[in-house]
Amino acid sequence: MNRLLQKKYLAAPYAVWMTGFTIIPLLMIVYYGLTDKSGAFTLDNVLAIGTAEHVKALVLALGLSFISTVLCLLIAYPLAMILRNRNIGQGSFMVFVFILPMWMNFLLRTLAWQTLLEKNGVINGILSFLHLPNIAIINTPAAIILGMVYNFLPFMVLPLYNVLAKIDNNVLYAARDLGADGLQTFIHVIFPLSIPGVISGITMVFIPALTTFVISNLLGGSKILLIGNVIEQEFTKGSNWNLGSGLSLVLMIFIFISMGLLAKYDKNGEGSTF
Amino acid sequence: MKNHTSKLKRFFQDFYLVLVLIFLYAPIATMMVLSFNSSKSRTQWGGFTLDWYTQMFDSSAITAALYNTLLIAFLSAAIATVIGTAAAIGISSMKRIPRTIMMGVNNIPVLNSDIVTGISLMLTFIAFGISLGFKTILLAHISFNIPYVILSVMPKLRQTSKSTYEAAMDLGAGPVQAFFKVVFPDIMPGVLSGFLMAFTMSLDDFIITHFTRGAGINTLSTLIYSEVRRGIKPSMYALSTVIFLTVLTLLLITNFAPENAQKADAAGTGRANGTDGVFGKGGKRLTTQQIQKRKTIKKGLLVAAAFCVVVSVCFSTYKYYLVSHSDELYVYNWGEYIDDSVIEEFEEETGIHVTYDLFETNEEMYPIIEAGAVQYDVVCPSDYMIQKMVENGLLAEINFENVPNISYIDEKYMKQSQSFDPQNRYAVPYCWGTVGILYNTKRIEELGVPAPTKWADLWDPRYDGEILMQDSVRDAFMVALKSLGYSMNTSDVEELREAKDLLIAQKPLVQAYVIDQVRDKMIGGEAAVGVIYSGEMLYIQEEVENLGLDYSLEYVIPEEGTNIWLDAWVIPANAQNKENAEKWINFLCRPDIAKKNFEYITYPTPNKGAFDLLDEELQNNKAVFPDVEKLKNGEVFQYLGDDVDTIYNEFWKEVKAK
Amino acid sequence: MGQPLIDLRNITKTFDGQIVLDDLSLAVKENTFVTLLGPSGCGKTTTLRIIGGFESPDKGQVIFDGQDITKLPPNRRQLNTVFQKYALFPHMNIAENIAFGLKIKGKSKSYIDDKIKYALKLVNLDGFENRSVDSLSGGQQQRIAIARAIVNEPRLLLLDEPLGALDLKLRQDMQYELIRLKNELGITFIYVTHDQEEALTMSDTIVVMNQGYIQQMGTPEQIYNEPENAFVADFIGESNIVGGLMLHDELVEIFGAKFACVDKGFGVRQPVDVVIRPEDIDLVEPEAGTLVGTVTHLIFKGVHYEMEVTTPDGFEWLVHSTDMFPVGKKVGIHVDPFDIQIMNKPASEDEEAVGVNE
Repeated sequence: MNRLLQKKYLAAPYAVWMTGFTIIPLLMIVYYGLTDKSGAFTLDNVLAIGTAEHVKALVLALGLSFISTVLCLLIAYPLAMILRNRNIGQGSFMVFVFILPMWMNFLLRTLAWQTLLEKNGVINGILSFLHLPNIAIINTPAAIILGMVYNFLPFMVLPLYNVLAKIDNNVLYAARDLGADGLQTFIHVIFPLSIPGVISGITMVFIPALTTFVISNLLGGSKILLIGNVIEQEFTKGSNWNLGSGLSLVLMIFIFISMGLLAKYDKNGEGSTF
Repeated sequence: MKNHTSKLKRFFQDFYLVLVLIFLYAPIATMMVLSFNSSKSRTQWGGFTLDWYTQMFDSSAITAALYNTLLIAFLSAAIATVIGTAAAIGISSMKRIPRTIMMGVNNIPVLNSDIVTGISLMLTFIAFGISLGFKTILLAHISFNIPYVILSVMPKLRQTSKSTYEAAMDLGAGPVQAFFKVVFPDIMPGVLSGFLMAFTMSLDDFIITHFTRGAGINTLSTLIYSEVRRGIKPSMYALSTVIFLTVLTLLLITNFAPENAQKADAAGTGRANGTDGVFGKGGKRLTTQQIQKRKTIKKGLLVAAAFCVVVSVCFSTYKYYLVSHSDELYVYNWGEYIDDSVIEEFEEETGIHVTYDLFETNEEMYPIIEAGAVQYDVVCPSDYMIQKMVENGLLAEINFENVPNISYIDEKYMKQSQSFDPQNRYAVPYCWGTVGILYNTKRIEELGVPAPTKWADLWDPRYDGEILMQDSVRDAFMVALKSLGYSMNTSDVEELREAKDLLIAQKPLVQAYVIDQVRDKMIGGEAAVGVIYSGEMLYIQEEVENLGLDYSLEYVIPEEGTNIWLDAWVIPANAQNKENAEKWINFLCRPDIAKKNFEYITYPTPNKGAFDLLDEELQNNKAVFPDVEKLKNGEVFQYLGDDVDTIYNEFWKEVKAK
Repeated sequence: MGQPLIDLRNITKTFDGQIVLDDLSLAVKENTFVTLLGPSGCGKTTTLRIIGGFESPDKGQVIFDGQDITKLPPNRRQLNTVFQKYALFPHMNIAENIAFGLKIKGKSKSYIDDKIKYALKLVNLDGFENRSVDSLSGGQQQRIAIARAIVNEPRLLLLDEPLGALDLKLRQDMQYELIRLKNELGITFIYVTHDQEEALTMSDTIVVMNQGYIQQMGTPEQIYNEPENAFVADFIGESNIVGGLMLHDELVEIFGAKFACVDKGFGVRQPVDVVIRPEDIDLVEPEAGTLVGTVTHLIFKGVHYEMEVTTPDGFEWLVHSTDMFPVGKKVGIHVDPFDIQIMNKPASEDEEAVGVNE
């Protein structure tokens, strides 16, 4: 009993840390979000989400991040399946290969896409050389989606791979043995068992995509305003921290929804990313 | 038959893997190629060079940023691993409800958007009077790293059977001993992968660092972001290439070298265990898990060791630059707005140690100075922002007795600066210039458009997708207001609304809103016309010549008049080293130094002494030194008050959101 | 009983260049309980997986009820498997698990419901429909795995060490349960185990395998009483295997002593292996024994005493007896002729009793 008590206190430093660097900062956002410049209480900053530009930026951000998330899922699922079916030693190497790009700076990677996609960029150079029609997606929502998928794909691959690698092969054999063909096995067994990873992956892609401002700036030519850009501008250009905080509070609604989903479908943290 | 189909299946799988890998690695390969490109342009190949690699090792800014990045990544990952592992053990022995709460809060930094996390931490640091700097970045990184460690240790803890711990205690080990001898080796792979994950996340982070960093502290991310303004220095690509190849090599070594030995070993274990090691699936899983466990440990250790080496190497290089100084000076300037050797000369001459920091926009700089989160001694904002700072009492008067070289500054610029600093008490002009239209002669010919002469030409529908606009509120509105014949300092809402509608009407024609990427994009032939600051012209003309392009780029100051901008040195009211700041300003006003600086940044200098030292040809280059007197309707930006600023921002947001 | 239900013809299988099954042929008749018995790595599981369709043989054919099913995927074979670790679907409840195969086949809901009820009754777990897999004990999970397989009415049920993870008491209960099921359902069982007692208890036929070869096939009595080689003798039960010299028919010399036996046809003065089960050795007064030794070890085992008797040549004889002889006592060894089993010396390395450490 005494021992149990001691073990529990190992979490104490983190509890203190968490209070100082997670909870208090969040309360700061709440404070700024619910006050005006003079410090008086107001709901204006939160309600400002209702203005036409903000609604548009939010809807656009939701739309683009939704598409990106779906694309990530569609690309990552077969990938995770293939990695799972390879022998594990090779699999973990391959998984590492998919994290490796993260060691190249995020901004540089995104800028490199700019170079690739530009009108006179690398891809169009290759297409011209092959006498194929050029692509013109730079500075369009398509380029932003590409940037999101590129940057957040590892966050989808990892939880999916983790959860798929945990499925016992015998369970799959059992399904086959009981008469299910490959597709039926996938629909009735593999996919339901991978749901914690799917949910975790969706969250890990959707949230950062929803709030990004760097990708939309660099690949969207700053022509496309997402909710992340609005918030960033309020802090760095508009100097209106209260409004920025208020809009951040709105964004946090989506974060809490994700947390709820995770808690519901991934009780044991099986689909944890890492 | 079956073999055949499985081979085909395998082929498709490999094909798919290769496709995804190309997708993932194409940008990285691009960057590597660019690191050998002798042209700074990202779109033009100027020949093979290794110069950027030499520059990379020579640049103290890059070395320092690399050192900071690695040190922060290493420290934050290490500290987070200790706190996180302890916390994971603690949490796992908690009852259900406190455990759920802890894990819920733990998930917040993981799920929360980086921007909210970064901002909330910044607000907290400022509210509690913690000055932003190395330690705040470190604190922030630890905070967002701990959850990753916990998330990777928890599953391992769940797998560990409680009985081994109790068995160890039974055999006479104390709780601590039992933990380190029995439990810890079991969760080791989780701890290591948590460490690696934390290290990677810290290395890759930009947004949180962006909001929590302070004076003189740059990580690679923030250094790169500050360079986006003037175009990335290819030495950054060189650096990334080096880092990437190092990690890749390490990975390949750890993965392929010891594999055979391990395989045999593991197979042996399998058989000795008496499971159906070789044939049964159950057995296979067990043995491969052991392989994996060992591999992760080995891999983790190797990578960690390698980074210790890298960090210590960086540290020794950094030490070389970090000689201790009694005198300090904190400088806050635009990116690429000084010749690095000027800083070195200043340090040598005065013995003052300079901490040099960069900002991207006036608006980004302002809150930092206002909040006093970082106490800079000397800052270089633009005209209207200086006015705003004066009006809000953020600036200290300069003691011109300490700045005798002020006499070299051309009188007309001192007069010009009176528009924002009426009695010339706060600001010393540093650079000036105009804003105009840069056009690609060949491209406009192809489009069948005459050369632009006025702002209104930027509404010509033939420029569909061929226009690069400035991505800053005042500059964009200046273009629209001037084309309407209004003052660019108007605070008339109706005029502004008209300008806003005009900008919205122009938006379909605009290819992108950018700041300094106009330069690279125009050189690369991406667009026909771009709104650009005049100071880039000298570089652009040289580059076009060097690359042997089949088009030329011309600069025109539109008829309706333009923004004559002026950046000047000011001293914040809360400066700690005011006299050093004055020494700095005085030093920069010295003609030989001003000339050297001009040659590097190529923005027109208001320094008459320096101007006189230049070649006659350069003095007469109107693209570089336009005749200010002849400019009709040339104006300097003024600060219009917070309320008008808000209107500008709202309208700009509307333009962007359309 | 005409043709066999399952007929393996000249199956060869290698993994990574290692031969696992070498030209194996095996025919199983309908409605029998056949056990594949052997140590780890003997190829028994691989044989089962080839029948189930989870591995395809490099060479040879699998004939099921007269039809070649070698290339048929598992889902199209009329047989079901009970897996070693049950392999229940963790995301489904018990009823859903059992219904899986029937739903795939598109059976009606009422049919499925009836079947679930019937199957749960059969495995003595009535009323467990809505329980989750996690809430069941190992033995209960195993019964569900069996129920899940048999609702599909397979003609052949493959069982891969299904009782391996259960404790002794439960294992014994399940053994009887399985025999009962087999008799009630009238389906053919192929059962894989490394536990010889389990094999002896349940099987109609035992196939002893080692190193990819079938060592001996026969009824439990044949396998136990008349092992064909030292491997089988050693693997099935405990035994004393000693080298001997066949003087002529019905007389063998062991350690210089002559023992009468019933075996014939081994030739004259041929070296042979002699198997004597520990319970077949009678300890008598020294002067009445064929060989004389000293008791060097004694353990009480409940139904009998286990003793070790060392003869002057150094061989330690394992003896089971209800009579107790204290350590140090000189005793004589007597064996009845029909309790002596003579075997040829192994012709090749493969048949030797190696790698047996069960």
